Amino acid sequence: MTQQELHNWRLQHDAQNKYLQHHTRRHFLSQSAMGLGALALGSLLGCGTNKTTNSVTENFFDPINPLAPRPPMFPGKAKSVIYIHMAGAPSQLELFSYKPELAKLDGQDCPPSLLKGKKFAFIRGVPKMLGPQAAFRQHGQSGLWLSDNLPHLSTVVDDMAMLQAVTTDQFNHAPAQLLMHSGSARQGRPSLGSWVTYGLGTENKNLPGFVVLTSGGNNPDAGKSVWGSGFLPSVYQGVQCRGEGDPVLFIKDPDGMNRDIRKASIDAINKINQQQYEEYKDPEILSRIAQYEMAYKMQISVPEVMNINDEPAYIHEMYGTKPGEARFANNVLLARKLVEKGVRFVQLFDWGWDAHGDSPENAVDVGLINKCRTVDKPITALILDLKQRGLLDETLVIWGSEFGRTPMMENREGKTMPFKGRDHHGAAFSMWMAGGGIKGGTTYGETDEIGYDITNGKTEAFDIQATILHQLGFDHEKFTYQSQGRPFRLTDVGGKVIHDIVS
Amino acid sequence: MVVLSIGDFIGKFHPVLVHLPIGILLVAVLFYFLSGKEKYKSITPAISIALFIGMCSAIASSISGFLLSKTAAYEEPLLSRHQWFGIATTVLAVAAWVLYSKHFRQFKWLMILLSLLVIITGHFGGSLTHGADYIFSSGYKSVEAPAPQKLIPDVQQAVAYTDIIKPMLQAKCYSCHGTAKQKGKLRLDEPDYILQGGKNGKIFIAGNTGESELLQRIVLPHDNKEHMPPKEKPQLTKDEIALLHWWINSGASFTEKVSALQQPANIKPVLLALQSGKKNEELAVSFIPEAAVDNADEATIKKLRERGVAITSVAQNSNYLAASFIAVDSITIQDIELLMPLSKQLIWLKLGNSNCTDATISFIDKLTGLTRLSLENTAITDNAFRQLKNLTRLQYLNVAGNNITATGIEQLKEVKLLRNLYIYKTDISASDFANLKKIFPRTMIDTGGYVVPILNSDTTLVTKPK
Repeated sequence: MTQQELHNWRLQHDAQNKYLQHHTRRHFLSQSAMGLGALALGSLLGCGTNKTTNSVTENFFDPINPLAPRPPMFPGKAKSVIYIHMAGAPSQLELFSYKPELAKLDGQDCPPSLLKGKKFAFIRGVPKMLGPQAAFRQHGQSGLWLSDNLPHLSTVVDDMAMLQAVTTDQFNHAPAQLLMHSGSARQGRPSLGSWVTYGLGTENKNLPGFVVLTSGGNNPDAGKSVWGSGFLPSVYQGVQCRGEGDPVLFIKDPDGMNRDIRKASIDAINKINQQQYEEYKDPEILSRIAQYEMAYKMQISVPEVMNINDEPAYIHEMYGTKPGEARFANNVLLARKLVEKGVRFVQLFDWGWDAHGDSPENAVDVGLINKCRTVDKPITALILDLKQRGLLDETLVIWGSEFGRTPMMENREGKTMPFKGRDHHGAAFSMWMAGGGIKGGTTYGETDEIGYDITNGKTEAFDIQATILHQLGFDHEKFTYQSQGRPFRLTDVGGKVIHDIVS
Repeated sequence: MVVLSIGDFIGKFHPVLVHLPIGILLVAVLFYFLSGKEKYKSITPAISIALFIGMCSAIASSISGFLLSKTAAYEEPLLSRHQWFGIATTVLAVAAWVLYSKHFRQFKWLMILLSLLVIITGHFGGSLTHGADYIFSSGYKSVEAPAPQKLIPDVQQAVAYTDIIKPMLQAKCYSCHGTAKQKGKLRLDEPDYILQGGKNGKIFIAGNTGESELLQRIVLPHDNKEHMPPKEKPQLTKDEIALLHWWINSGASFTEKVSALQQPANIKPVLLALQSGKKNEELAVSFIPEAAVDNADEATIKKLRERGVAITSVAQNSNYLAASFIAVDSITIQDIELLMPLSKQLIWLKLGNSNCTDATISFIDKLTGLTRLSLENTAITDNAFRQLKNLTRLQYLNVAGNNITATGIEQLKEVKLLRNLYIYKTDISASDFANLKKIFPRTMIDTGGYVVPILNSDTTLVTKPK
């Protein structure tokens, strides 16, 4: 017996022992004469696992190969998605929403008509209006107004479709982020990336289908459920990779363990899991087996793709990347690399946009400008780089946040803030999309002359989700997952595709 | 595994068993209400028996139905509705019998509910086996599936009726006005019948569209009872209505060629759209080909998947295929040969970022269906274009990051549909590029090399408000 076989045998033997110790009521039920009837009754009463019959709207889930590529409902323009989320909510009034009228009202008391019946996260009493803290200019053939805070992005406005009247009913970060990404302000629903990888699988079997990269020093407020898989099989949840050090913790084999022994232990574990599966037929066990195998492959493939050192100098210059540092620019470059390698959905979060005015970092005329400088160049580089690589037309890029900010200056607890800041504002904010069959140089939706409320082209999270799914080839009303006895949609009972920005 | 097949077997009896609870429970409810009348007092003892047998048969139906649902594919929302209503019926039947045998008699609402549940469950069950539209539909599935209108090689040489009008009537009208049925005593499947008209007489007057009932009823609002085709049936498209209008207006001839008929300006583009052939193809580049194609060879697809190729159809209802070699470590000529049986179906192919050489792709010209081809960052040279130039359907070609020159690219000038060409990081100079733009006037050629300038503000921080 070789060392490897011995190791294998021991592992299996230990597991068998443990397993026999757990011989319990379950086994009595399943193996006794009553077992079958009792189990059948159990399923009849709804305690069973998901059904596995195949029919039109039945959940499709191949536990052995859950990420195998699958066709969309209709041919989709986009094949992959890069979703850039600025966690904390950047001020649309200093970036995309040009409101010269608001400048005239700067410093005046907010008229009572704007406050009547409204609730704000921090504003109390009567706040002062705050004019735009940035200069705006028109750019490109489309003549889109963009602030000087984004000098690089202004060169690619003709590739972007602006959504100027996005709205949400949530005014706190976590629920608003959940709504934007999972279609529900409460936890428990699958995120957009999970839906997409569930629907389309992934092109590269050696990499996860849904990768999450965060920057800015913190995870988004909604935590990891914002890339969770909800009731979808857990294999579809986002895989968070780190920007510095090992991309995934403990991805290297520990000292003294060589790759063959690693393989042997994974094979042994999978063998036991297979036995377990044959007994219980729980598809999650097959999922687990597939996950172990994928993890083994990813030990090689992930560090390879997550390494930006090999990129040429002109690419680093273009993105403003610094290998080895945890920074947004690195994540953007990684997003491009991942998409190039066939990853279906890359989700970026950058934290630190919550400009309340309580510190210089959180001031719309200080910290916000610095934040813009960290993202402006890499995002612009991403669009141009995808374009020259022939990837932009099948990669949908989305830039957005959970909500926007008030045209009023924040007055937390009725007091004047030390710096200029704005409160959370869900009624009207801006997002944009590019690539993936989106019509560049278009604008959809308008807000009133101070950017307080929308006047037409109302766009809810559901509409954005419907549009993203549409670009990938899915009818958001028919793309469902059967759970708890009813079909669920990402867009719940809402959502309409924004055909005006689709080419 | 014997147990499972017994389950399957029991399930097969569901369609027979279900009739028992329906009949018996309804009879029990009927007896219950009748027994209230003095005249029928004597049937009272039968209620308990009927409820008991009804209950037993309901349980048997539920179990067999559950087993049946595991063996075959049924439409999901309908299946679970049928299942849960069935279970509710059974539970209620048990409750009714238990209550009744405990001498509880005042439960007329329970009995009404029970009979309603029986009916609803039965309806859902019927919908499952006969189709949801069974009750209200005529029972006929249209014999001729409404196939998309066939493209005509030369529309001017086509016979207006036979090649344009008849296929349209066949697709949209024959199912009710043909050999199988003649609603309103009207048949539209032969010229004689068309001229004869229906129960209101003639359906059109040649050359006078205003007086033609056929056209009038087609253009009525959809919710009008007289509108044709009925609103739940496939409607005529705007173009089809225009063509019908034009045909009647020009004399409704059954024999004339299109060229012999007058063609007002509005009908010319509609006629042209019916035409296939090179001329029309140049006008429109479609995202995926419109023509139908046979199923791809499953065995070939399986072999490719085993090689690690990500291959799927481009959409759930399409036989066209997209293949990506992203996860294949080293692509060989044998891999490309594997694709050959799929030459009709394969339209999108990704071979980029790989070790592909001219030799590897020396058969690629056989994949004539390709509309998108990625060959970026490989080892191909100008020689590869000897093959690539034969891919005349290419709309997207990515050859970025290869040692190729304008001499290679120029060979693509016969690929008239090419719309996107990526040549970033190739050996093509600026003057070559200007020349290429002339050779490919309709193609978006991306030479890349974009620069995001370095601005002072990129690296400086703002520390205090202005």
